[in-house]
Amino acid sequence: MVISAGPILLRKLLRDLWARKTPLAVIIAIVAIGTGSLIMNASIYRDLKFARDDYYREFRLADLSVSLKRAPESAVRLVEQTPGVAEARGRVVLPALLDLPNQSEPITGLVISMPETNEPILNDLLLREGTWFSGPEQAEAILNHRFAEANGFVAGDRIKVLLLDEQHDVLVVGTAMSPEYVYLIPTDGGVAPDPARTGIIYMPIKFLQRSGDLEGAFNQIVARTFDSSPAALDRVLNVIEDRLDAWGVTDATPRRNFPSVSFLDSEIQGIRASTTIMPTIFLGVAMLILNVVIGRMVAQQRSVIGTLKALGKSTTAIALHYLCFGTFAALLGAAGGVVLAYWLQGGMIAMYRQFYKLPNLEARFYPELYVLGVSVCLIAAAVGTIAAARRAASLHPAEAMRPPPPEKGGSIILERIPIFWSRLSFRRRLVLRAIFRNPFRSGVNFFTTLLATALLITTFSMRDSLTYLMEYQFSALSHEDLSVSLREPVGESGSREILSMPSIATVEPQLNVVCDLSNGPFSRRLAISGLPRGNRLSTPLDDLGQPVPIPDEGLVLTDKVARLLDVEVGDSVSLRPLIGERRRVQAPVIAIVKTYIGLSAYADIQYLSRLIGEDYVANSLLATSFGSEGWNLLYNELKKRPGVIGVARRERALEQMEGTMGETQGRVIVILVMFSGLIAFGSVLNTALVSLSEREREVGTFRVLGYTKGEVAAILRGEQIILSVMGTSVGMFAGTGLALLISKAYDTDLFRFPATILPIRYFHAALLMVLFVALAQAVVRVYIHKINWLDALKIKE
Amino acid sequence: MSVTTSQSSVILSVQSAGRVYRMGEVDVPALRDVTLDLQRGELLVIIGPSGSGKSTLLNLIGGMDRPTSGHVRFGEMDLGVISDRELTRYRRFEIGFVFQFYNLVPSLTALENIQVATEMAGDPMDPLEALELVDLVDRADHFPSQLSGGEQQRISIARAIAKRPQILLCDEPTGALDIETGQQILNLLLRLRAELGQTISLITHNASIAHIGDRVATLKDGIVESIEINERPLRPEEVQW
Ligand SMILES: Nc1ncnc2c1ncn2[C@@H]1O[C@H](COP(=O)(O)OP(=O)(O)O)[C@@H](O)[C@H]1O
Ligand SMILES: [Mg+2]
Repeated sequence: MVISAGPILLRKLLRDLWARKTPLAVIIAIVAIGTGSLIMNASIYRDLKFARDDYYREFRLADLSVSLKRAPESAVRLVEQTPGVAEARGRVVLPALLDLPNQSEPITGLVISMPETNEPILNDLLLREGTWFSGPEQAEAILNHRFAEANGFVAGDRIKVLLLDEQHDVLVVGTAMSPEYVYLIPTDGGVAPDPARTGIIYMPIKFLQRSGDLEGAFNQIVARTFDSSPAALDRVLNVIEDRLDAWGVTDATPRRNFPSVSFLDSEIQGIRASTTIMPTIFLGVAMLILNVVIGRMVAQQRSVIGTLKALGKSTTAIALHYLCFGTFAALLGAAGGVVLAYWLQGGMIAMYRQFYKLPNLEARFYPELYVLGVSVCLIAAAVGTIAAARRAASLHPAEAMRPPPPEKGGSIILERIPIFWSRLSFRRRLVLRAIFRNPFRSGVNFFTTLLATALLITTFSMRDSLTYLMEYQFSALSHEDLSVSLREPVGESGSREILSMPSIATVEPQLNVVCDLSNGPFSRRLAISGLPRGNRLSTPLDDLGQPVPIPDEGLVLTDKVARLLDVEVGDSVSLRPLIGERRRVQAPVIAIVKTYIGLSAYADIQYLSRLIGEDYVANSLLATSFGSEGWNLLYNELKKRPGVIGVARRERALEQMEGTMGETQGRVIVILVMFSGLIAFGSVLNTALVSLSEREREVGTFRVLGYTKGEVAAILRGEQIILSVMGTSVGMFAGTGLALLISKAYDTDLFRFPATILPIRYFHAALLMVLFVALAQAVVRVYIHKINWLDALKIKE
Repeated sequence: MSVTTSQSSVILSVQSAGRVYRMGEVDVPALRDVTLDLQRGELLVIIGPSGSGKSTLLNLIGGMDRPTSGHVRFGEMDLGVISDRELTRYRRFEIGFVFQFYNLVPSLTALENIQVATEMAGDPMDPLEALELVDLVDRADHFPSQLSGGEQQRISIARAIAKRPQILLCDEPTGALDIETGQQILNLLLRLRAELGQTISLITHNASIAHIGDRVATLKDGIVESIEINERPLRPEEVQW
């Protein structure tokens, strides 16, 4: 590009820019963040999406999975022959209790069958270390790679696997990754990754069929379809479920609802959203500030523009010259953004690699995204500068040489309210006039401080919401120290047995039954928890945080489920358990409670037992303990019981969530607070300096009249303080609204975010804003000290 | 530039030119009906009280502005009707301006301020040569803020003549200077005219300076009150300030 129409004007450009280096540097930083976040997010989005799509395709992730009690080979053929299905595979998937040598705590494992030889199949494995099985019936296992890593397993080690009622001493032959488990949520539930407790292991099919009482049969069928759009998949799934009904379908899941897939999808969606949100905010702010700054520059250089025109510079050359101010800032910002993006992309991908186990996840370089980012940045700068450039270009040459027209506008609107106006001191009047006479600049100051505050509030709200959610889910709703899950529902004897174990203080039985709930066209599959009368360890709460008594008959639904099924208290839903007699009944909705994780519903344990054709059974035992000293003994006891398939500690789940989500969030918060600061600081600094340059003569007069520099600075500050206070105040509301909106947007089956903002956060945000604005004012003070007032008075505009 | 009419030495002619400014609802006639020729090589001094339309007239001559009535002709060009582009080219190649407040670009050095003009002109001087003509070579790298008013005005003159314009237009070039410096500036202009041969039109509201002109046009209320020919123009230092 021929910068600025001529080498001499280029020099003028550079010197003019240099003279404004401090405020300009802030604009450049804002542009850099806008451009950088665009390039970085777009690159990460592609990295993740490509890595995921490649992985799913190459390792043939199934489009659906159906769990059954027992299905013969012919059932697999039936699925395969279903229209729309490309291929199907039967597998055996068994829960198991893993006893690791390095750990007293038993781990819930999931044992998945693989063919005896390593051949390409659905839900294939990527062998990372070791070898495949040495024979069809061998007691050999390939461990999930991260699980092995986290627990220090290598090929050749042994692991104790409790399957049904028999403990097997299994030889670890290798480690592997699978597209099915990219995001490693513990096999016994939870929402935060915990690789050490994600006991996914693969064993030869024949071995599992024999030890799982499934000779010649499977208990899960996975399939790939030709059309994997949600609608098509749901249609195929319905047909399959009907066809397999005789074999006792206990679950039918489309790919998008596989936990790992769903977490990864929502992460990728989130990044996609960031690709537009952050750049819009930052480039938008930069645009507004540039508009003010270059606008002022044109006004200041009025006679220079006139002279250039008198000398015969063309209109285009002059427009281009001023356009170049914006472009130049944008170019430097873009350069910064490019460096930032290139540098951060690697770090971000490294972080994602910890959470998402994708074999080909690498930070790749996408030149076209860099071109895109830089172009968007240049366009934004051009848009921000164009108004000023046009004003410069259209300045009439003879006009430009005359002194500028006297200050625009005599009285401002407030002066028409004499009762108000007459009470103001002349300093206040000056401040108010300055605000109202430059509506655009005032608007920019107001809007950007509003934006920064809103960003702070939303950021804090993210933190508070997560804290509230964890506290609510892990402390208000549940009070057990540990929960023991059982393979099969058992009667009262189960509770007594646990109660007799070391350290156990109280035990409360619970029955979890996966059911289909429906109301007309709306349906959902979820686990209903049967709670005993006088439940104390699991206490569903209503909107106001009050415990809701469990009715003898009927259901207590969580608000999300009620919304999904479109029912209210007093309505009834159709309910069909997926185990037992599987009879469909109508169940009244008695109460609605609130939860933030997953989908759940509650009922009386006896009522639920009856629905599955039992009297009074439980498959999960919640317990409190006297203290964790005796837990090793307890674990040893539990490991001996073949009926036990899992032991979960409430503490651990909470810690894990704190540790992963909390930590990541902590980092994000620090960055977002700095970003808000940059926006507020940058905008206040720039608008204040523009205001200062406009009012040099006014303030020079004050100096001559004997005002001190401090007094003069105070008068100048008034403008920014009033606008920033207004922006901050409205920003509090905007931020609250935004937090509400975000919590609405994040309303999924997996997660809801309570829009929580602690009252003290408003104070924190206000304090930070005061800091940012004060920092900007401190820099302005330096400029005020540098100005020679007498010169300012002498120089004609 | 070709000479238009056979033996005429008229370089530019203003014919019944008027300029009316619209200020909201009212029309302000800055120039009512001015007819005046600029003779090749002469020094035409325009005097008149403040607000009489001197600058407006000079702007019309210099192609900074267009008449709202009448014509300003430079050769075959009617400055009132030619395109903006052509008007810009006219300013670029034919006109040099010197202003009361110098109007140097503050962020450019003395030399660079001259280069701004020469880098786009047709057959310009070497900028250093222009500096030499105003005797400020040693100030080449100074910024305007480091120069005195007189020096700034000399740079401004160097910038104007460096393009080798046909016409040099000076709007109160001494207005912001003390007597002695003012005389130096006027001497400089006359010396340059002798060396380079431009036509000069110079505005002043100081009647005594008028004596240095070949002709003196007096403006009042937007019309030419009189045009006098000085049989013997005074040298600047002879002028009684
Ligand atoms: N752009 C303009 N808009 C309105 N009035 C103008 C403008 N330019 C000049 N005038 C008016 O025209 C008259 C002549 O101005 P000018 O030519 O500058 O006078 P002089 O240079 O003789 O002092 C003055 O009354 C002035 O106020
Ligand atoms: Mg004038």
